[in-house]
Amino acid sequence: MGMEEAWLIPAIPAGAFAVLLLFGRYLPRRGDWLAIAAIAASFALFFPVLVDLLGEVDRADFAGVASGIDWVKFSLPTGPDFQLRLGFFVDQLAIVMLAVVTFVTLMVMVYSTGYMKGDPRYGWYFAAMSLFAAAMLTLVLADNFLLLYAAWEGVGFCSYLLIGFWHERRSASEAAKKAFITTRIGDVGLLIGIFLLWREAGTFDISEIFEFAKAGGYSAEYLTMAVLFLFAGAVGKSAQFPLHVWLPDAMEGPTPVSALIHAATMVVAGVYLVARMMPLFLEADPVALNVVTALGLTTVMMSATMGLVATDIKRVIAYSTINSLGLMMVALGSGSVTAAMLYLFAHGFFKALLFLSAGSVIHATERQEVGDLGGLARRMPVTAAVFGLGALSMAGLVPLSGFWAKDEILNVAGDHQNFVVYGFMMLSVFITALYMMRVVILTFLGEPRDREAQEHAHDAEPVMTAPLLLLAALTVVAGFVAFDGVGEALGFPGGFGEFVFVEEAEAFHFPWDVAILSTVAAVAGLAAAFYFWSGAAEPARRAADTFRPAYETLRRKYFVDDIYQWTIDRVVLAAGAVIAWFDRNVVNDTGVDGSAGLGVFSGFGMKFLETGKLPNYALAIVTGVIVLAIVFMVVRV
Amino acid sequence: MSYEEVIFYFVAALTVLGGLGVVLARNVVHSALFLIVALLAVAAVFILLSAEFLAIVQVLIYGGAVTILILFAMMLTRVRDMPGALDGPQRPFAALAAAAFLAISILAVVSAEWPGETEEITVIAFSDLGDKLFRNWAAPFEVASLVLLVALIGAIILAREEEGE
Amino acid sequence: MIPIQHFLVLSSILFSLGIYGVLARRSAVLILMSIELMLQAVSINFIAFAVYLYPKEFSGLIFAIFVITIAAAEVGLALAIILRIFRNKATANVDEVDVLKW
Repeated sequence: MGMEEAWLIPAIPAGAFAVLLLFGRYLPRRGDWLAIAAIAASFALFFPVLVDLLGEVDRADFAGVASGIDWVKFSLPTGPDFQLRLGFFVDQLAIVMLAVVTFVTLMVMVYSTGYMKGDPRYGWYFAAMSLFAAAMLTLVLADNFLLLYAAWEGVGFCSYLLIGFWHERRSASEAAKKAFITTRIGDVGLLIGIFLLWREAGTFDISEIFEFAKAGGYSAEYLTMAVLFLFAGAVGKSAQFPLHVWLPDAMEGPTPVSALIHAATMVVAGVYLVARMMPLFLEADPVALNVVTALGLTTVMMSATMGLVATDIKRVIAYSTINSLGLMMVALGSGSVTAAMLYLFAHGFFKALLFLSAGSVIHATERQEVGDLGGLARRMPVTAAVFGLGALSMAGLVPLSGFWAKDEILNVAGDHQNFVVYGFMMLSVFITALYMMRVVILTFLGEPRDREAQEHAHDAEPVMTAPLLLLAALTVVAGFVAFDGVGEALGFPGGFGEFVFVEEAEAFHFPWDVAILSTVAAVAGLAAAFYFWSGAAEPARRAADTFRPAYETLRRKYFVDDIYQWTIDRVVLAAGAVIAWFDRNVVNDTGVDGSAGLGVFSGFGMKFLETGKLPNYALAIVTGVIVLAIVFMVVRV
Repeated sequence: MSYEEVIFYFVAALTVLGGLGVVLARNVVHSALFLIVALLAVAAVFILLSAEFLAIVQVLIYGGAVTILILFAMMLTRVRDMPGALDGPQRPFAALAAAAFLAISILAVVSAEWPGETEEITVIAFSDLGDKLFRNWAAPFEVASLVLLVALIGAIILAREEEGE
Repeated sequence: MIPIQHFLVLSSILFSLGIYGVLARRSAVLILMSIELMLQAVSINFIAFAVYLYPKEFSGLIFAIFVITIAAAEVGLALAIILRIFRNKATANVDEVDVLKW
C-alpha cells in the first residue's frame, strides 16, 4: 500500500456516498457511522501513502507518482488529442492537502453527530458530506485538468447542497444559489484556461503541460492569459475580491458545513490550484503573479475591515476566512508555495476550531448575534478557552501555529514585494487581532446580554467537545513543523520548507524584525480590542458615531452586494428581457406560429378554388393545357 | 383551285358552321340539329380522306344513335323549359381559352416539320384495314366490346327508376 | 392534292369550338354535344395523320374506329348520369350541381 493506491482515499467516501444515498434510510442511525468509518479509513490510508512518499522523496528527481486508468482517448480532426483519464498523482503538495482534508473532515463528521442530532434529514447530511469528501480528495489527487475540473464542480455542487441544507428557509436557498452562481462565474474562467493550455499542449495531463511550458511551448502572452483564466477559477472558489460575496452568505448552512467546506477545505482549493500551477505562473509574465497579489491584498483589507462591524458570530469568522485566503494569495503572489501551504495547513486546524466552537455556542444558546451573547465564558469554559485559542492563533500570537504561518507569509512578502504591500500586510495583522478579539470579548466576556437564552448554556457533549480539543492541540503545535529540527525528527527531509516547495527548497529562517513587528501589531490589536469593546463598549459606540459614513460603508460591505444586484437587475435581467422578447415574438410568434399560420391561411385561401362547379374545373384544365403547350413551344421551338 | 380544294372548302365550311351552331345557338334543339349537320359534314371529310368505312360508321353511329340519344335526353331533362341562361358566367374566359388554343394549334400546325408525305394521300385498301384490325388490334377490339357492354349495363342501372322513386 | 395542314387546321377550329362550348354552356346536355365536337376533331386528326404520314401502319384509322366506339359508350353513360342528376335536383344546369363545394 503506497502512493500507487492513493486512489482509494477518495474512492472509499465515494462508495459510502453511494450506499448512503440508496440505503441510508434503512441503516441504523441513518448510516452516520458508515460515513465516519469511510472518512476514518481515508485518514488511516493517508499514513501508508505518506510513508511511501517519505521513502521516495529523497531522490533528486522525485516529481510525484501517478496512477490511474485511461478512459477515453482519441484525436480530434483539428489537431490536439483528447483524453479522459481517471488519474491520480501524489506529491508533497498533495500529501499536505490530504492530511488537512481527511483529518478535518473526520473531526467535523464526528462533531456533526452531536450538532445535527434530531434533524429530519440527518442521513442525507452525511451522504452529502461523504460526497463532498470524495470530490475534494479527487480534486487534490487529480493528475489531469479534466478530472480536476470535474471534482472542482463536484465540490461546488456539494457546497450548494450543504449551504442550502435547510432549504425551507428562504435565506438558505438564496445563499446556496448565490454561492453556486458566483463560483460558476469563476469556473468559466477556469475552463477557458484549461482549454487554452490544452489547445497548444495537446494534453490535459498536468505534468505534461508543465514540461511543455518549461520547454517554451507557449508564448509568454498566451501562457499569461491562460494562467490568469485559471486564476479566475481560484478567485471564485477562494472568495477573492470581487467574487467574495458568496462566502458570508454561505453561513446559512449548518455550522459544521461552514467549518469544513468554507474554512478548511473547499475554499482553499483555489489556493491549492494556484500553488500547483506555480510552475506555470513562474514561466508566465510576472504580471500574473502581481494580479494574484493585488487581488489577494484587496481581499485581505476589505474582509478585515468588514469583520470589524459584523455582528453575527459566524459571519465574523467567515470574514476571517476570507482574510486568510487573501493572505495565502499574497503569499503565492510573492512566489512562495511554502508559505502559502504552511498557512493552509495551520489555518485548516484553527479555522475549523473557531467554527466548531462557535457551533457549540449556537447549539447551546440557539443564538448567533453577538447582541444576544456575552459572558458565556462562565457557562461554557471549555468552549471559551478553545475559541480564544483559535482567535489568538488567527491573530498570530506566538507561539501558536498561526504566528509561524503568518510570519512566513510576512517574510516572503517583505522579500519579494514592495513596501506598500508589506505595510498593508502589517496593518492587516493589527486589524485581524482587533476584530478577532472583539468577537471573543463580545461573546464570552462581560455580562450576558440575553439572560434567557443563556439559561441552559453549557459546554457541549463529548462527541462535540473532543474534536474541539484535538483541533486545539493541533492549533498549538502544528506551526512547529516549520522547524527543520522538528521535521527531521518526524522523518521528513527537514522543516516544512524542505518538504513543500517549488523550484528549490526553503530552509527555515527567522528574521527577527518581522517577528517583532508582527507581534507588536498583534498585541496592539488585542489591547485596542479590550479598550473598545470591553464592558459596555462605549468607546466603540463613540467611534462608530464619529465615523458614521465609514461605519455604514463597512456595514453595507462596501456596497459590493448592492452593485452586483444592480448589475443583475439592470444589465443581466434587462438583457434577458430582450432575449425573451426576441424568443417570444420572433422565434415563437413569427417563426413557429407564423409559418403554421401561413399554412393555415393559404389553405383557407385556396379552398375557394374548390367551387364544386364543373365548368370552373374544366376551365382550369384547359388553361393548364394551354400554358403547357406554350411552354413546350417556347422551349422546343 | 382544283376540284378537290373546292369541295374541301365547302365541306370544311359546313363543318365549321355546324360547330358554331352547336355552341352558339339560342335554342337547344337548334343546337342538336346543328350537331347533326356537323357530324354529317365530318363524315364527308372522312370521305375526302379516303376513309370511306369510317365515314359510313360515322353516319350510322353518330348520326343515328348518338343524336337520337341526345334528343331523348333533352326531352327527359326538360332542357327546353329553361331557355334563360343558356350560357354560363364563364363565357369571356371560354372565348379567350378557345381563341388561345386555336392560335397555338394553328401555329404548331403551320410551323411544324411533318415527317413524311404531306401532299399525297395514300389510299388504304379496305381489306388491309380489316386485316390489321382483327390481327394486330384484336385485343383492343375485344376490350372495346367489353367497354360497350359495361357502358350498356351501367347506363341501364343508372337510369332506371328505383322502387318508390 | 390537299396538303395535310388544311385538315389539321380544320380539326383545330372544330376543337376550339368544342372548348368554347364546354366552358361556356350551362346545360349538361349542351356540354356533352360540345365534347362530341371535340371528339370529331380528334378523329379527323388521327385519320389525316394515318393516311398522309404513316400509310404503312395506319394506326390512326384503327384508332378513329375506337374513338367512335368509345364516344358512343360514353354518351350513353353520360346521359344516364345526367338523367340521374336531373331526377335528384330537378336541374340539368352544371352551375347548380356544386355539392362538392368547399
